Amino acid sequence: MIHALLWAFLWLQMQSAEPPVPAEALTLLQSGLDAEQRHDLERAIASFRKAADLAPSAGIVFLRLGEAYMKKGDYTAAIPPLKHAAELNPDSLPAHQFLGYAFLAAGYAAEAIPHLELVHEYGALGIAQLQSGQPAEAVGNLRLALAKNPNDPDLLYYLGRAGTSLSAQSLDRLLSAFPDSARGHQAVGQNLFVMKMFPEAVKEYQMALALRPDLPGLRLELGQVYAASADWEKAEEQFRVETNLQPGNAEAAYRLGDALLQQGKLKEAAEELRLSDSLRPDMPETLYSLGRATAVTDPSAAEHALLRVIEVEKDASLAGKAYLALAGIHRKQGKIEQATREMQEVRRIQAANSRRAPTKQ
Amino acid sequence: MSGLRITRRDLLSLFVSLSLAGPDTKVKPVPFFHVSPLKGVSFILRNSPTSRKYLIETMPGGVALLDYNNDGLLDILFVNGGHVRDPMVRPFSFDRHDPTYWNRLYRQNKDGSFTDVTERAGLANAGDTNYGMGVAVGDYDNDGFPDIYVTNFGKNILYHNNGDGTFTDVTAKAGVEAGGWSASAGFLDYDNDGKLDLFVTRYLDWSVEKSKTCGFETPTYCPPGDFPATTSILYHNRGDGTFEDVSVPSGIAARKGHGLGVAFADYDGDGHTDIFVANDATEQFLFHNNGNGTFTECGLDSGAALTANGKMPSGMGVVFQDYDNDGLPDLLITQLPHEPYVVYHNDGRGSFSAQELEAGFGVLSGRSSGWGIGLEDFDNDGWKDAFIVQGHVFDNVETYDNSLRYREPPLLALNHKGHFERADSGSDMPVAGRGAAFGDLNNDGWMDVVTTSLGERPQLYLNRGGKLHWLTITLRGIRSNRDGYGARVLVNGQVRFATATGSYLSSNDKRLHFGLGSAEIANIEIRWPSGIHQVLHGVKADQFIVIEESEQP
Repeated sequence: MIHALLWAFLWLQMQSAEPPVPAEALTLLQSGLDAEQRHDLERAIASFRKAADLAPSAGIVFLRLGEAYMKKGDYTAAIPPLKHAAELNPDSLPAHQFLGYAFLAAGYAAEAIPHLELVHEYGALGIAQLQSGQPAEAVGNLRLALAKNPNDPDLLYYLGRAGTSLSAQSLDRLLSAFPDSARGHQAVGQNLFVMKMFPEAVKEYQMALALRPDLPGLRLELGQVYAASADWEKAEEQFRVETNLQPGNAEAAYRLGDALLQQGKLKEAAEELRLSDSLRPDMPETLYSLGRATAVTDPSAAEHALLRVIEVEKDASLAGKAYLALAGIHRKQGKIEQATREMQEVRRIQAANSRRAPTKQ
Repeated sequence: MSGLRITRRDLLSLFVSLSLAGPDTKVKPVPFFHVSPLKGVSFILRNSPTSRKYLIETMPGGVALLDYNNDGLLDILFVNGGHVRDPMVRPFSFDRHDPTYWNRLYRQNKDGSFTDVTERAGLANAGDTNYGMGVAVGDYDNDGFPDIYVTNFGKNILYHNNGDGTFTDVTAKAGVEAGGWSASAGFLDYDNDGKLDLFVTRYLDWSVEKSKTCGFETPTYCPPGDFPATTSILYHNRGDGTFEDVSVPSGIAARKGHGLGVAFADYDGDGHTDIFVANDATEQFLFHNNGNGTFTECGLDSGAALTANGKMPSGMGVVFQDYDNDGLPDLLITQLPHEPYVVYHNDGRGSFSAQELEAGFGVLSGRSSGWGIGLEDFDNDGWKDAFIVQGHVFDNVETYDNSLRYREPPLLALNHKGHFERADSGSDMPVAGRGAAFGDLNNDGWMDVVTTSLGERPQLYLNRGGKLHWLTITLRGIRSNRDGYGARVLVNGQVRFATATGSYLSSNDKRLHFGLGSAEIANIEIRWPSGIHQVLHGVKADQFIVIEESEQP
């Protein structure tokens, strides 16, 4: 992105109105441009510096000097000449654009913001705002930038980070302003859960429940803490209350069904999982658990659910698990060839996913 | 107040709820076992944990229940670890010459106490370069006295039982030292020639030089995947006191894994003993015996390689017996937490399906790390129950996940027609459990357990007994191997596959115990490895019987 801007700037600079430049300085400017073309950045910088000494009011010379530093990757050195160029010609958009990028690249995100705002560089502006602790503003600008370049991996990455940061910021505000509120305890519980501090997380959720026993979602989260600890009986208890509070919540029904499945209560599990599937059809986790819950008692229903998982998930790891479960059903039915084919799919998906998985440190 | 009316029914329901709520109205069931140290046993499993987190130090140690002197009382052999220096320096030594680190053989006395006979038996000093792991027991020369095979990180040792209370190290002559890191081992007769062969699992390609630690701020043991996998070994018994390594021609060496547990059974009823290897964080291996001296590994295609969720189990201990009384041997495998212990139900036709949730292990085991395991009918009701010793691999696991524990009490799960439910074992003392061997130590017809735990004394779980009936069978092979290993024994509809192998690093009482419930008479059907089919009708319950292989098929 930066390189394209540099060439655009050269053209724009020709259009700008500036005081006349002494002939000797022009010669040095030309020789600097020639050196730049030969990729001899050291010589170019030396020529531009001498030209700048001879023509201290010529914005174009400082702009070229700053540009050469940026090409060299020395963003800190680029800042003073670009700053001077912008001061000499406050309306020069290229000067602001370069200066904004130079500030951002050198780590001065807050200083970059006004320059990037001026030139509507939404992507870089969003990044600068994120780095300056303004995640809400960053989310807005990054989304504007993504509207133009929807598949830019850098923008997607920074938007993800901005979202996380925004979430953390609002939770920080919640905790500092209302630490003893139900939501405060819930937020702490969530953090402890992520850190795998399950007993501590349970305590926080219980404090939240003591304050607001009917708060939707609380029991769903508490149940997940119990589930992560494989305490399925307590998980079931919480999910069951949640499904009573939110009878239309597909996730709550799925979680309850899964907790029942883990306890071997297959019939009850299948009922809850079917309910979840009716509330939100084609949720692959629900279908997979439904396949497992009915594999012994109703193999045709299990087969149907597992085939839907494969349709939805394609080559993702859950599809591999669905093939594995299907192979088990077919093996039991004596359909050995079909089971063998499904096991081949299991191996293929496992191999593909292991290639995709990050290598261990 | 005028509208308030208390009816007789209200008072009754209040009375009922009050009487149910009182804690002292509940009668706590008596635990199954009386748990205590073994009288006269001073053995401590010395694993020598270090700051370097050498992987060997968290893996021992085995225990065997055997009647080495044929006096009718079970004796106990404990395998010790060794001294691990922090750090280890060349020349590497585990100081096994020091009595602190000896393996120990205890002879049982008539009063239930034990006497240390290690030195007298010739089992002292298992070699300074050997760090101890497990034990297998079998009468490989059919002389009527059980021989002992001890596995090590280093070289394994075969001790021949001389029949006079002493043993001789015959490893070199027999050619079974293996090398590398051996774990569980077992004797079996894979070619049905009447002579016991030997199978040795090996864990991974590890050495002190290759050791490393894992973890970020808190160093801990590295997972097995950080070290190269290795092969198990199959030794064929030539019958002249020597063995031949047939790992390659038999097909056993075709698969590399991280073997820790091993168990044997004829899962497809073709008359040939098959081999299951519990691998740590690798696919589990089911070696199908082709009946011609070769094996085909078919774990994945038979449904006994992965968890129901498609993950590779952290297989450690394993038992290969029939838990649901359908006549087919099933597999129970202990592993690390966050997934239940694995149950591969034998569906017939050579296939298995993961049924840990149906069997109840989803509730019983999701947070625990299991090692030694047994399927024995502890309450003699005719259904085999599960006993599992537990404890995490990492001695600092709480710093990584404080919902887990390094030390855990064992799990006793009673079998209710194929569904297991937790019961009070009699001990809630948390330990870093590892080995477990199962047998009837006091010959009362009720199965007992001896367990080992890192850095601690072994525990005896002595069954308190009850009123139901039982039958314990000792097989005596004639054409088959003398121990009768590999026989399929059916008693009143229950099947046991004759073997001392299973659990983790350990060897069980070779006698076959059956709970008979209220039945006072048993019908027995034996299919010997020789192919001989033998039937006994109307056998009285509550006795120990020796059944000699009949001459005629």
